[in-house]
Amino acid sequence: MERILQRDSSALETLYDRYGRPVYSLVLRIAQHPSSAEEIVQDVFLQLWRSADRFQISRGPLEPWLFTMARNRALDFLRLRREKQRRREDSTDTEIAPSAISRPDLEGAIDKSRRAEKIRALMTSLPEPQRRAIELAFFEGLSHSEVAETMGEALGTVKSWIRGGLLRLRESLEEARS
Amino acid sequence: MIDCEQLAPLYEEYALGILEGEERAELEAHMARACDRCSAGVAEARYVVSQLALLAPSVEPPPALRGKIMEAVKSSASNPVRAVVPLAKTSAPRTIFPVWAWIAAAALALATGYTIRQMGNQNTQLAELRKQMKLATLQSQALQNQLEQSRMVSSVMLSPDSTPFKLMPKDKNMPMVHAYLHPHMGVAITAEQMPSVDPAKTMQLWFVPKAGKPMSVAIFRPDSAGQIALVAPVNMPKDEIAALAITEEPAGGSPQPTSAIVWMAQVN
Repeated sequence: MERILQRDSSALETLYDRYGRPVYSLVLRIAQHPSSAEEIVQDVFLQLWRSADRFQISRGPLEPWLFTMARNRALDFLRLRREKQRRREDSTDTEIAPSAISRPDLEGAIDKSRRAEKIRALMTSLPEPQRRAIELAFFEGLSHSEVAETMGEALGTVKSWIRGGLLRLRESLEEARS
Repeated sequence: MIDCEQLAPLYEEYALGILEGEERAELEAHMARACDRCSAGVAEARYVVSQLALLAPSVEPPPALRGKIMEAVKSSASNPVRAVVPLAKTSAPRTIFPVWAWIAAAALALATGYTIRQMGNQNTQLAELRKQMKLATLQSQALQNQLEQSRMVSSVMLSPDSTPFKLMPKDKNMPMVHAYLHPHMGVAITAEQMPSVDPAKTMQLWFVPKAGKPMSVAIFRPDSAGQIALVAPVNMPKDEIAALAITEEPAGGSPQPTSAIVWMAQVN
């Protein structure tokens, strides 16, 4: 990040080489459209380049910041596309500038592959409906009630699934970091 | 009133963006009054939730994307307007830092001082010391995020490329809301002495186009001191914006306005 602050574009290339694949994978999973995913990923890394001084202030870890920004932008795109489809009943994909950035904190001390393995193992261990409820909330950006409607389940049940699953994820990551 | 113990299981749902209603309002109220436990818990939860990204099937991005990004970076670098103006190098008035920022700075200084004092204790207290340091770091990050927001607002306000607007209240007893529209950095919104908003509702800023439906720009609520200071991305060319408008919407916002305009400014 220090090199990016000094406007060294090769530093951004290094960061892209490290995080481009997981960020693109996340955005593509949400947006479900390769050309839109490309636009969003480009926007995320440009934001990183332009806002490096702001990021530096927070001194948080870069990876969760990137993941959170990428998710928010992809979900913004998804919501706008849904709204457009609702209005026009048209499946045409439209490029719309996403918005909103949030900023995660804390340091992840374990390596990414180990975390990914841990998270996948945990999610696999969850009952299929509970896993699906969490994925709908994370990747589709659905609210509790929207998840309940999509799955045809009671709202209280869905809340319980998501809450319980996320708490297990918290515990699992804490164990992995200890 | 819900206490921290009861709110702790909700941190991840808040970070995921699905916590609603009274629970969300309670948690935000805790954080608004700098509740250490809830602020730290939500920060941790943001990390936990971000890690769900690793569940996405790994896909190699198109090889051309790297080049596109670097090309865009080069053109961005040649456009100094897009750079954020460092606050320390401007002649910004002191008032751009709200009172809460100074209070938070004092709180941070106290927390840091306390942490440093603890470091002199015996080795048996090391674990507790680490915990305190972690908490101080989180407090620092929360403060820095707040300062960053102020810095973004001041950058937009001070930019010569920004156009100021006054959003006039429909109710004459309400304060005026100020907007500064910058073509690249976004739209900054500031206000003071704003009335509190029902926890089940939120304020929502809209770009009203010359043709077509309003476009949502930002969802927000005044802080505990009645202040608003935020920057939202500009998602519509200025020439196409007929007006800026603020409505009160159900918590979480609405795709389109569902209530009467409360503040408005003509743009074009």
